[in-house]
Amino acid sequence: MPLSRTARALTACAALGLLTACGSEESSSGSSGAAAEYPTEEIRLLVPYGAGGPTDLAARAFGASLEEQLGQTVVVENLPGGSGAIATQELIGAEPDGHTLSLATAGTLVLTPLANEVGYTLDDVTPIGVMTEVPSVLAVGADSPYTTIADLVAAAEEQPGALNVGVPGASTPQAIELQRLAEEHDVEVTAVPFNGNAEMTTALLGGNVDAVLINASSDVTSNIDAGQFRPLAVSSAERLSWLPHTPTLAESGFPELTLSGSTFGLIGPADLPEEVVTELEDALRTAHGDPAIAEQVGAEYVPEEFQGAAEFQELLDRTQEVYEPILGD
Amino acid sequence: MDSWNGILQGFSVALDPTNLLYVFLGVLIGTVIGVLPGLGPTATIALLLPITYTVEPVTAVILLAGIYYGSMYGGTITSVLLRLPGEAASVVTTFDGYQMAKQGRAGPALGIAAVGSFIGGTVSVVGMVLLAPPLADLAVSFGPPEYVALTVLGILLVTYLGTGSVLKSLSMAAVGLLLATIGLDPITGTARFTFGEVSLFNGLDFVAVAMGLFGVGEILHSLERTEKVQAVTSKIKGIWPTRKDFRDSAGAIGRGSVLGFAIGVLPGGGGVVSSLASYAMEKRRAKDPSRFGKGAIEGVAGPETANNASSTSAFIPLLTLGIPPNVVLALIFGALLVQDITPGPQLIEQQPEIFWGVIASMVIGNLMLLALNIPLVGVFVQMLRVRAGILAAFALLVTMAGVFSVNNNVFDMWVVLGFGVIGWLMKKTGFEPGPLVLAFVLGSILERAFRQSMLISGGSFDIFVTRPISGGMFAFMALIIIVSAITSRRRKAVFGRVDPADVDETDEPGPDADRQVTAEGSPGADSTTDTPSSTTPGER
Repeated sequence: MPLSRTARALTACAALGLLTACGSEESSSGSSGAAAEYPTEEIRLLVPYGAGGPTDLAARAFGASLEEQLGQTVVVENLPGGSGAIATQELIGAEPDGHTLSLATAGTLVLTPLANEVGYTLDDVTPIGVMTEVPSVLAVGADSPYTTIADLVAAAEEQPGALNVGVPGASTPQAIELQRLAEEHDVEVTAVPFNGNAEMTTALLGGNVDAVLINASSDVTSNIDAGQFRPLAVSSAERLSWLPHTPTLAESGFPELTLSGSTFGLIGPADLPEEVVTELEDALRTAHGDPAIAEQVGAEYVPEEFQGAAEFQELLDRTQEVYEPILGD
Repeated sequence: MDSWNGILQGFSVALDPTNLLYVFLGVLIGTVIGVLPGLGPTATIALLLPITYTVEPVTAVILLAGIYYGSMYGGTITSVLLRLPGEAASVVTTFDGYQMAKQGRAGPALGIAAVGSFIGGTVSVVGMVLLAPPLADLAVSFGPPEYVALTVLGILLVTYLGTGSVLKSLSMAAVGLLLATIGLDPITGTARFTFGEVSLFNGLDFVAVAMGLFGVGEILHSLERTEKVQAVTSKIKGIWPTRKDFRDSAGAIGRGSVLGFAIGVLPGGGGVVSSLASYAMEKRRAKDPSRFGKGAIEGVAGPETANNASSTSAFIPLLTLGIPPNVVLALIFGALLVQDITPGPQLIEQQPEIFWGVIASMVIGNLMLLALNIPLVGVFVQMLRVRAGILAAFALLVTMAGVFSVNNNVFDMWVVLGFGVIGWLMKKTGFEPGPLVLAFVLGSILERAFRQSMLISGGSFDIFVTRPISGGMFAFMALIIIVSAITSRRRKAVFGRVDPADVDETDEPGPDADRQVTAEGSPGADSTTDTPSSTTPGER
């Protein structure tokens, strides 16, 4: 489609022009003045998912806190679609003045640009800090013959590919983690992509898959609490406080498999002024320590240590490094 | 005894003045948006989600549930009067409802739909109280192969139900399946047919496609025949159905209640499928199937009962398993999550006020709808006296606003307009949009489920027949095809109306499904073509 390509190129040029223009303006006018005034108008907080989900909830809870702290209205805007690309494209097209921000994950910033041509990369955004973290859980049904991760791995090694493990979608961190499990550890299972948690839950409860590698959002934790799901391992680097008896994948013999969880962070367009980043980072840090927000989004999803701009950037870079060889070919 | 206590507790929750107000608001908003084409329950509930953050969880669900089943009532009105389904589940109602309106029987069509909806909703509430736990067990055992069977059955029904030429229905279903392949491959995640357009990654938006084909297409088409529409609306009289109407529809309402209830519980079921299934059942059971598509009151009563029953029973998987069976309930699920309540196996025990409160509110809401609906119909009939041009412009505006509100994406508005023009051209050339839209919806489910099944079975087709439920469903479909092929052949032999084209198809009862669908669909096509001779087999 020559037309749409032209349109895209034009948009990209316009965005690029805007970026450079703003960048030069920033350096000439002196950035301290701009930061002192920030924010001067309402802030758009883009959410690359539909209204009503846990991500939307996190954005609204943190958005309300930012609004209170910064003294400007924060408008949460849901722009779902394109595996996060629609919201992220909107963000990188905006002026880097801190009045347009977006919620983002490693999925929308690393996986989507690697898997598809979307016109942006990780370098086009400025990470500000982490809001919530949703770890993944490798779980089996209550009547499964596997009671430990070792059982499951042994079965997979005995009959490579015979075990069916549900994942929440085709190019999700969970699917890639299973691919790494096969490539780096010779533990081969068949990843069966489902359309989100609800479908996977049905499939596991109905015995249609042997296990799932699933986002431990509240629907999953309630199934674990109800005894319907048996958690075998978690994706986080450390054991989870609310699942103290479930080992991590890392301690089960797969030290580098810590990337299948989802980290929801705040980002701005590239070249966001240092002062604005610091101001937002501080506001996020305050929100992170607010027990009311923890209660709103679920205490188990607020990481114990606050991770700011540097830590979020580091996580995204590490994810990019690991995923590039897998998705690059 | 537990259920009895639960019901009592439920009514004490639902009769709380705040909750009563929200039931009323819900069913009123539902009826209005059901009437307005384009702004369906999905868009409305999505729009109202922010408001629900501020009220109690049970109140939020009561409001949203009211909108959902209220829209099932409201959607009927424009389906009958304008042949414009206000929401997707009312598509089937246009088949016979609009014909009834043309014959000056719009009143009884709307009346019987309201009565049927009330009965369907009530039966469903009773069923929900009695059967919630065991039915949840049934639904959860459905895996990818069962979804394949269900969607294939759906596509089979679509072509069978085509009101025009079977060949045209089939080709439209094929187009729908093709359109469903646009977007990211569900298994490998690579982009297909997106031409670099990011908005196409998730495929064409179903709401936009349906609104375009049904809504805008019909608006454009209706502008061309303004006179005719006004002629229909001026003839409306007597909303309460006659005693004969009640006699004719009693069976359809009873069957529709049960059918709708059962289909609503199944994941992926819901309004459209239940109304289609009920229509197919009534048409098959009728002594004279040729009346269908020409104003048969059973064709309105059955589907309308079924879609309301299914919109109630759809809450069963959500409230007992935490699994939303369709988009609307996914939104309600989201509303609950926002309130920090996770629907799941423990919900009835831990938050009984939600489960029982919502059930009790449904009883009250259905009563309100019955009381509201009869007088409201008059109001909307008045609305139709507005000049068609103004009404069309207003409907278009609401359609565009509604579709934008779903994803906040301008691209979807272009999809609506594009499909609006396509829908208008299809109308002019005698292609029905129904098979296209339904195959489009079912196509993506079918593809995903089929490929999941293949992954699970390691590439063996045995999985579809060795599993009892999917095997049973495929056997059932084969039976339908064979029986209807035989009966259509016999009928043709008896009446000596053998069409050379049909012989080709019916003489080959091979395993080729497409051919059999064609052959099996023939009687349906006969019954609805406008030539007088085609109605004779049934009449004799």
